[in-house]
Amino acid sequence: MNPPGSLEGLEPDADEHLSTQIVEPSVHSDNPQERIQARRLRIAARLEAQRREALGEYLDGKKESEEDQSKSYKQKEESRLKLAKLLLCGTELVTNIQVAIDIREIHRRVEEEDIKRQRIEKLENEVKTSQDKFDEITSKWEEGKQKRIPQELWEMLNTQQLHCAGLLEDKNKLISELQQELKKKDDQYVKDLKKQSDDICLLLERMEEQVKNVMKTFREELYHIEKAFEVERQELLASNRKKWETALQAHNAKELEYLINRMKKVEDYEKQLNKQRIRDCEEYNMIKIKLEQDVQILEQQLQQRKAVYQLNQEKLEYNLQVLKKRDEESTAIKSQQKRKINRLHDTLNNLRSKYAKQIKQFQEENQSLTLEYKRLVTQFKELQKAMRHFALIDDEKFREIWLMNEEEAKDLIARAFDVDRIIHTHHLGLPWTAPDFWFLKNVGPISQQPQKSAMQIVEEMLLRTEEEEAEEAASESESYLDLPKQISEKTAKRILMLLCDESGFLIESKLLSLLLPLEQSECYLLRLDAIFSALGIESEDDLYKLVNFFLQYRAHHLSSSLQSKPCSQASVEEAGVEGTSMESELELAERTEMQGEKEENLVEGKKEKEKTPPSPWVIHPNDVLKILEAFVMGLKKPRDSRAPLRVQKSVRSKSKDSEYWQALTTVIPPSRLNLWDALYTALEKYHLVLTQRAKLLLENSSLEQQNTELQALLQQYLTAKINSELQVPPTQVLRIPTK
Amino acid sequence: MQDTVTTSALLDPSHSSVSTQDKSSTGGHTSSTGPQPSKPSSITPVPAKSRNPNSGANFHRMRRIIAEDPEWSLAIVPLLTELCIQHIIKNFQRNPILKQLLPEHQQKILNHLSPNLPLAVTANLIDDENYWLRCCMQRWPVCHVAEHGGSWKRMFFERHLENLLKHFIPGTTDPAVILDLLPLCRNYVRRVHVDQFLPPVRLPAQPQTGDRSDSGSEGEMEEPAVDHYQLGDLVAGLSHLEELDLVYGVKDCGMNFEWNLFLFTYRDCHSLAATIKACHTLKIFKLTRSKVDDEKARIIIRSLLDHPVLEELDLSHNLIGDRGARGAAKLLNHSRLRVLNLANNQVRGPGAQSLAHALAHNTNLVSLNLRLNCIEDEGGQALAHALLTNKCLTTLHLGGNELSEPTATLLSQVLAINTTLTSINLSCNHIGLDGGKQLLEGMSDNKTLLEFDLRLSDVAQESEYLIGQALYANREAARQRALNPSHFVSTITASGPENSVG
Repeated sequence: MNPPGSLEGLEPDADEHLSTQIVEPSVHSDNPQERIQARRLRIAARLEAQRREALGEYLDGKKESEEDQSKSYKQKEESRLKLAKLLLCGTELVTNIQVAIDIREIHRRVEEEDIKRQRIEKLENEVKTSQDKFDEITSKWEEGKQKRIPQELWEMLNTQQLHCAGLLEDKNKLISELQQELKKKDDQYVKDLKKQSDDICLLLERMEEQVKNVMKTFREELYHIEKAFEVERQELLASNRKKWETALQAHNAKELEYLINRMKKVEDYEKQLNKQRIRDCEEYNMIKIKLEQDVQILEQQLQQRKAVYQLNQEKLEYNLQVLKKRDEESTAIKSQQKRKINRLHDTLNNLRSKYAKQIKQFQEENQSLTLEYKRLVTQFKELQKAMRHFALIDDEKFREIWLMNEEEAKDLIARAFDVDRIIHTHHLGLPWTAPDFWFLKNVGPISQQPQKSAMQIVEEMLLRTEEEEAEEAASESESYLDLPKQISEKTAKRILMLLCDESGFLIESKLLSLLLPLEQSECYLLRLDAIFSALGIESEDDLYKLVNFFLQYRAHHLSSSLQSKPCSQASVEEAGVEGTSMESELELAERTEMQGEKEENLVEGKKEKEKTPPSPWVIHPNDVLKILEAFVMGLKKPRDSRAPLRVQKSVRSKSKDSEYWQALTTVIPPSRLNLWDALYTALEKYHLVLTQRAKLLLENSSLEQQNTELQALLQQYLTAKINSELQVPPTQVLRIPTK
Repeated sequence: MQDTVTTSALLDPSHSSVSTQDKSSTGGHTSSTGPQPSKPSSITPVPAKSRNPNSGANFHRMRRIIAEDPEWSLAIVPLLTELCIQHIIKNFQRNPILKQLLPEHQQKILNHLSPNLPLAVTANLIDDENYWLRCCMQRWPVCHVAEHGGSWKRMFFERHLENLLKHFIPGTTDPAVILDLLPLCRNYVRRVHVDQFLPPVRLPAQPQTGDRSDSGSEGEMEEPAVDHYQLGDLVAGLSHLEELDLVYGVKDCGMNFEWNLFLFTYRDCHSLAATIKACHTLKIFKLTRSKVDDEKARIIIRSLLDHPVLEELDLSHNLIGDRGARGAAKLLNHSRLRVLNLANNQVRGPGAQSLAHALAHNTNLVSLNLRLNCIEDEGGQALAHALLTNKCLTTLHLGGNELSEPTATLLSQVLAINTTLTSINLSCNHIGLDGGKQLLEGMSDNKTLLEFDLRLSDVAQESEYLIGQALYANREAARQRALNPSHFVSTITASGPENSVG
């Protein structure tokens, strides 16, 4: 029953909340102050609502619910409170007995404890005193033992007896006291029992009373509540019935009203309908007349139309006839054309097939030809290979034969020279000098000097210039070059450096990065390599050409400024060069040689000039590119014609060979030969003489021999025994030559 | 017999009508019949009696009128089933047939069985509550079936067993009397409540219980064996035993009082301890008014340590002192004890302190009763300190404990902090006026306490009244909470501003 109340209590709150929010400053307004205020208001409202809700649970809710379903709820609440109170009071009443007994028990315990303590004290005192007395008695027994006189002993015994009796009496008294107390306690116990039963009775009574009371009140309350509910129900019924009746009455009244209204409306509508009908009838008549008139007019028009139609029909029929005829004609033409087309198609097909056939044929032909061509090419290649092979072999053979012949010739020549030398030294007594001919030193077949590549030259040049720089003074003018035939190395180097510096764009960027760590000269070398490869400079000649070109350009430049004659001549030459660049390279080379000669002169002249102005000869870096461009343009053309020339290069010049051999044959000059002839004859004669003399000598020696033989014989004879036997020896007679 | 009686009773009015009809018939057929039946009911009995013999003979008329009674049937011979049932009822003791019958027949038999049948026959056979209701009603004039779990059968057996135990005299009564019953009642007895154990009879000449108490004389104090019945066998047999409520003493001794009637010997104690230790289903154990002193209490409590299910221990009205209380305190933290009752013992300060120490961190104990002890302020303060941390205890009874103002001041702090306590009893103490005021202060901050007993504790009437008001408000709040638990939070928040306003 609370929740609805509280909910109902809440709803108006919420409404209020909303309304206030709408009217009061809004949270979404632009003004910050206003927004703050709005928020504050909202918080306050929320707190208020919370508080109300909280209270609503208890007081407001109760009040509202009381207002709502007042009687029954009030009755119920009342009776609940009453019953709760009753129960509480009743239980309190009943438990009061227990509490009372508890407190009595506590008091009893306290008292008991007191009494116990007192009793114990008393007993202890008693024990003490009796102990004293007993001690006294026992001590007196000791005394008694010492007593000798019977009277005294008797007296003492009497007193002892008295004492003992006193002691006993004391004890007895105590015992009786305790017994009395015990009896009292027994009485007390009886009393307690009675009291307990009384208490229990009271408790029972109260409980019963309580039960009765509670039952009675419960019944009463139940009755009240029921009554309240009934009353409320009746009230509710009555009010509902009243409500119902009023609602019914209102309903009836309204029904009646509606009915009357409806009737009125019906009448109105009827009137309106009648009016409308009359008006409609009139309108209908009018329209009818008008339409009839229209019909007549239209019929007339129809007649006219029909006449026109007839006319048109006839015209059209005629036209149709004409058109039909034309159609026929056109169909005839069409068929003709179709036939023609067919024929043409046939021819076209024939042609096509022919064409296809021909294509096939040509393709076949083509194929066979290409095959043949390929074969030929391969043959040609083989041939070439064979030729190359043979050429090589021929070369080799040629070389071998050459060498052999040369060797032979040289041997012969050497012999001739030996002979000559012997003749000269021994026979003529003249000093002999070996003749010095170039061909004598030659070994192998005569060939052109192999062209060096541009780079090699550059490298050499650079190296050399470096060396030169080191020993400049020593060998400045020393130019044993096979290379810059007329140009000084320095100028060439300078030009190259310039080129290197200016045309860096021709070098790849990668290469540049690689170049960085290298030495300067190497760096230059590599750069130049790249630049030359870009420019297409390959051979030594090209390089010279380039250098020369530069020099010419400069000369031209200078001449243009100085207007000196040779320079202009040079430029004319240059123009000539350019113009005749189509000619063979050999010529070009010759020309350049010639130019080089001129150039040398020029350079020398320039050098002379140099000394006067410090450095006008230096080519301006800006011009380098122009020069290069011109050079490349010029170079491109001769390059084209180079390919066939190169083949010719391999063909040797045979003129020199014959010359060579001729020279070899004429190693010994004819004068000498004459000399030799003369010498020969003289020597012949000399020989003759010598032979005669030899004969004579032989005769002489034979005679001598005979002589000696005879002498021996004589000797023999002389020495023989016979001599001794003889009276007169011959020996004595003879004079014997002693040896 | 019955039938005839009922029929005759039923017939009575019919006779009257018959007689009227007779009259009418005799008087004449016509209109006189209409008015006649309405008036004669008072008049008729007189003639009816006179005509009775005739009416029995007049069959047709009888029948016609009896037909108004739907129970009446023409057959005088009852149905065969009825006869069988009658026979079964008659011979039930010798040949119990019940389970095989149809349910309606079973019901009929159960309705007519005699409650005096031997238990050996009925105990395990009959489950019908009505039968056991009749048995109980026949034996005992007052029956509180609610105390026995609403089961009449259970009640019968429990009370039967209780009766036997109550009147068992060791040495004279045959123990088989009880042990014979055991197989019959083992499944039904859950609670054994015995409020007296008779001591063995000293003079064999004296036969029965009533006279036995007279025989006791004060002179013979040194009785060698006054042990009571040993419960061990019985309890071991009862498989569903949950509650054991024992008093080692004699009831209604009146003026035949004798100390040794109330002697709880050590042997009793040891056997009881072993019994309860062996009984793992025991939930409630009560041993009251049995002169249990410290030693015995400790023996019993030691046997209860770590008991699996024990929830309630009642040792009220004994002689337990501080040592016993210490034992109980130990038990608190070694069991699932929810209720501890040490009312009317001799627990003093130290005992209460040890209890408080155990209570400070206990999470099981719900109720603690220390009524009529003497814990004084020393123990009271210790308990109050424990309650500052305890979050479980709801009921505390400290009535009659010589408490005074210091305890009251501490308790007022407890009241302000603790939110679990619902009932405190401080009756019969010396709280004093100032103490009452402090308690009132503490009460003003408390929202959970529902009962606070301060009777006879020297508290000013005014503060007692105001405390009563606060309690009333708390009760109302609790009632509101119980009525609509969903609004629990809101009620709490609600009570805040309300009180601050008031």
